[in-house]
Amino acid sequence: MKILVCISKVPDTTSKIAFTDNNTKFSEDGVTYIMNPTDEWYALVRGVELKEAHGGSVTVVCVGDSSNDQIIRKSLAIGADDAVRIDAQPDDSYFVAAQIANYAKEQGFDVIITGKETINYNGSVVGGMLAELLDLPYVALVTKMDIAGNEATIEREIEGGKEILSVPTPFVISANKGLAEQRIPNMRGIMAARKKPLNVIPADAGISANTSVVSYSAPPARTACKYVDADNVDELIRLLHEEAKAI
Amino acid sequence: MANKFVDLATLKFILNDVLDLNSLLELDRFSDHDSESIDMFLSSVFDFSAKELYPCFREMDENPAHFKDGIIEVHPQVKTIMEQSGELGLISSFISAEHGGLQLPLLVHTAAGFIQECANNHAVGYAGLTQGAAELILEFGAQELKDTYTPKMLEGKWGGTMCLTEPDAGSSLSDLTTSAKPNGDGSYAIKGQKIFISGGDHPYASNFVHLLLARIEGAPSGTKGISLFVVPKFRPDGKGDYESNDVITGGDYQKLGQKGYCTTHLVFGENDNCQGWVVGAENMGLKYMFKMMNGARIAVGRGGASIATAAYLASLEYAQERPQGRRVSDHGKKNANEKPTLIINHPDVRRMLLLQKCVSEGSLYLVALASKYYDLSIAHSDEAEREKYHLLLELLTPIVKTYPAEMGSESVSNGLQVLGGYGFCSEFVLQQYYRDIRIFSIYEGTTGIQSMDLLGRKVTMANGQALQHLSGEVMQTISKALDISELKSYADKLALNLQTTQKVLGHLSGFAQNGEYERYLADANMFMEFFSKIVMAWLWLDMAVVAKHALIKGDKTYSEEFYEAKIHAMKFYFKYELTKTLSLSKILMDEDSLTIVDEKEVFVVK
Ligand SMILES: Cc1cc2nc3c(=O)[nH]c(=O)nc-3n(C[C@H](O)[C@H](O)[C@H](O)COP(=O)(O)OP(=O)(O)OC[C@H]3O[C@@H](n4cnc5c(N)ncnc54)[C@H](O)[C@@H]3O)c2cc1C
Repeated sequence: MKILVCISKVPDTTSKIAFTDNNTKFSEDGVTYIMNPTDEWYALVRGVELKEAHGGSVTVVCVGDSSNDQIIRKSLAIGADDAVRIDAQPDDSYFVAAQIANYAKEQGFDVIITGKETINYNGSVVGGMLAELLDLPYVALVTKMDIAGNEATIEREIEGGKEILSVPTPFVISANKGLAEQRIPNMRGIMAARKKPLNVIPADAGISANTSVVSYSAPPARTACKYVDADNVDELIRLLHEEAKAI
Repeated sequence: MANKFVDLATLKFILNDVLDLNSLLELDRFSDHDSESIDMFLSSVFDFSAKELYPCFREMDENPAHFKDGIIEVHPQVKTIMEQSGELGLISSFISAEHGGLQLPLLVHTAAGFIQECANNHAVGYAGLTQGAAELILEFGAQELKDTYTPKMLEGKWGGTMCLTEPDAGSSLSDLTTSAKPNGDGSYAIKGQKIFISGGDHPYASNFVHLLLARIEGAPSGTKGISLFVVPKFRPDGKGDYESNDVITGGDYQKLGQKGYCTTHLVFGENDNCQGWVVGAENMGLKYMFKMMNGARIAVGRGGASIATAAYLASLEYAQERPQGRRVSDHGKKNANEKPTLIINHPDVRRMLLLQKCVSEGSLYLVALASKYYDLSIAHSDEAEREKYHLLLELLTPIVKTYPAEMGSESVSNGLQVLGGYGFCSEFVLQQYYRDIRIFSIYEGTTGIQSMDLLGRKVTMANGQALQHLSGEVMQTISKALDISELKSYADKLALNLQTTQKVLGHLSGFAQNGEYERYLADANMFMEFFSKIVMAWLWLDMAVVAKHALIKGDKTYSEEFYEAKIHAMKFYFKYELTKTLSLSKILMDEDSLTIVDEKEVFVVK
């Protein structure tokens, strides 16, 4: 079974978010990056589990410059067999999906997994676009997936319950919480990752983003925490009403 | 409870920017690693700590390890922690590849331990002592001992301990009485009791490998007659299985802090059926054990630095959220109608937080530096350099063991004060850190013993060469700081303190030359305090130099405020801490001798 997992980097959740260039760019000063958690914990780990159960290989793909190599190596340490980095700035979701589709179309992947969304842009669209561009079935927000032969049984949560679907390979899914559990790479895996292939390929110059950023703005700064005596419910209600305007 | 338990940015700054980890990775011994893989390893350690260690930290305090029906019960999470410590490579991290280890620098192992202990200082010792015990067998033991015991220890399946202390042999190990009698088949019959043994027994390791000091029958008294033994709880039965080795858990100790880390009383050979195997040569035990103890002393320093750090972050978070009182305005009045300010804006609270920052980050640099010295002492290509780093490490070790513990306690106490009444309440974590850190001044040699080691052995070591090397390192920092106008006056102050050190040592050595050794060592503890403050000033100035260079170069690895904050902390340290060396030097050079036993009765209680 040939599995493709799409990964991207995001600022870690403790990073201070600031903007530059007239609020059109995100400032990278002092920011540390991590692999997008749903890509890592659910998409990648489920891919590796499938390979362990059924044989085959896991390839990871990432659209970005060499600053992504750290997270790519982490994916190899977790258990991917090889990696492809498409060397271009990931300008928008369409651009990313189209570049991945362009690479994947000739590769014969049976299963393609993306994370449900990135924690910085929360777009949740790359998986769907990718499926459309490759003309494959797509299931979003998958919480469980098993494969027998050429058929996958897939679960996803829906309002008030769950839906169980059957999909023939090849297909694309986006991974949600529950699909797998975080695997922390151990040092032997990390050392082995140094020897696994990371192929950098040029982007397709014919593809371009179809949106551009006008500006970003941050939410209002967090204000001080107020302690209210546990017995003083009246004061709590007053504050919630007058200051927080929550009630 | 603060949910940020470690400051990874400062850790990385110290590792990469101040200590230049990359330069270590260029050495042959560490060539299997690069900075990216180490970064990834540390982020694995962080994930492990956040997921497995931190969530049970307070539970381990609230449900202490305890003795019940002949066994020690510990928090069930110890099982996962042992297993994952083996699986992730935390136990084998700096053990040589030829012994199945990962052969990482000790510097990286220290960084990994620091992250874990910031998350949970109760849990880490279980695997930590196992690693130390395995290392001893691997370094000095016969092949059969290595093959029989260490693979399972490195996997985290078996536990390891160090068994030194006895009821009448604590600080003075030369008085130990546990005996070993040759059985004639290469093994020895072990008999005796060991007390205060950390991680000595629990349900989550299927065997325990005790590294035990005992005296072989007929061996000389004192330290010269002490041998080191491997004494397992279950020994191989010769048929591929294991049988009981007559090691009985007699009880445990309920303690002020580190309650989740069990402290046991072990009885060996109560039924005359306990076997041990000597490690290395007979009567060399204390020398071998010192190898483990030196590593353990760095680990104790690391523990102190970790708790001080976690406490600092918890206090800081509280101070950033708690409104109380108003700032004093320029006319000296307060406006009662103004909204209360956050307590972080009161100068006295800032002073306490800055002290915490200085002690915790300074201690981290100190233990990291000692770890790097260790790495260079074994892996540098040049023999003279190896010897130099060995001496530097020897000199720093008692300080590494002591400063983070002693000043860490003071720092956590200030951190508790930041929370006011809430700091004293069980609901907040500060009181736990305050209790947990207290043991670090006691085990692995008390502060009193470390101070005598520093003044009695280390400063005079190799005809004072260790001290000369250290002065050389300090002078290098001073000369770098002299080139930066903002730091020049601090460099001058540090240089002045080096001169005072010479004066103090000159004064004290007069006693040693006259044969008044007790007088020479009587104020060793004061000397430790005095000298540590100077060493820490050196480290802070060094960090400030690196931060300043980064600012000048426009280095964007960290934010500008990050670098500026390091320089500010250095200035704080020089004003509020280094100045104390003046009064300490006066104590050390005072003519009065008030603590030595003489005819006068001074403790008169009526
Ligand atoms: C929680 C805990 C865990 C421990 N874990 C271990 C372990 O895993 N393995 C192990 O072997 N031991 C362990 N110990 C024992 C620990 O190392 C000893 O308690 C410590 O070395 C001090 O010995 P003692 O308690 O007998 O005190 P003592 O030696 O009686 O010391 C009492 C006081 O006298 C001072 N003193 C003693 N001798 C001198 C001297 N010559 N000059 C000046 N001052 C002196 C000491 O500094 C101290 O202040 C542990 C102890 C505790 C509390």
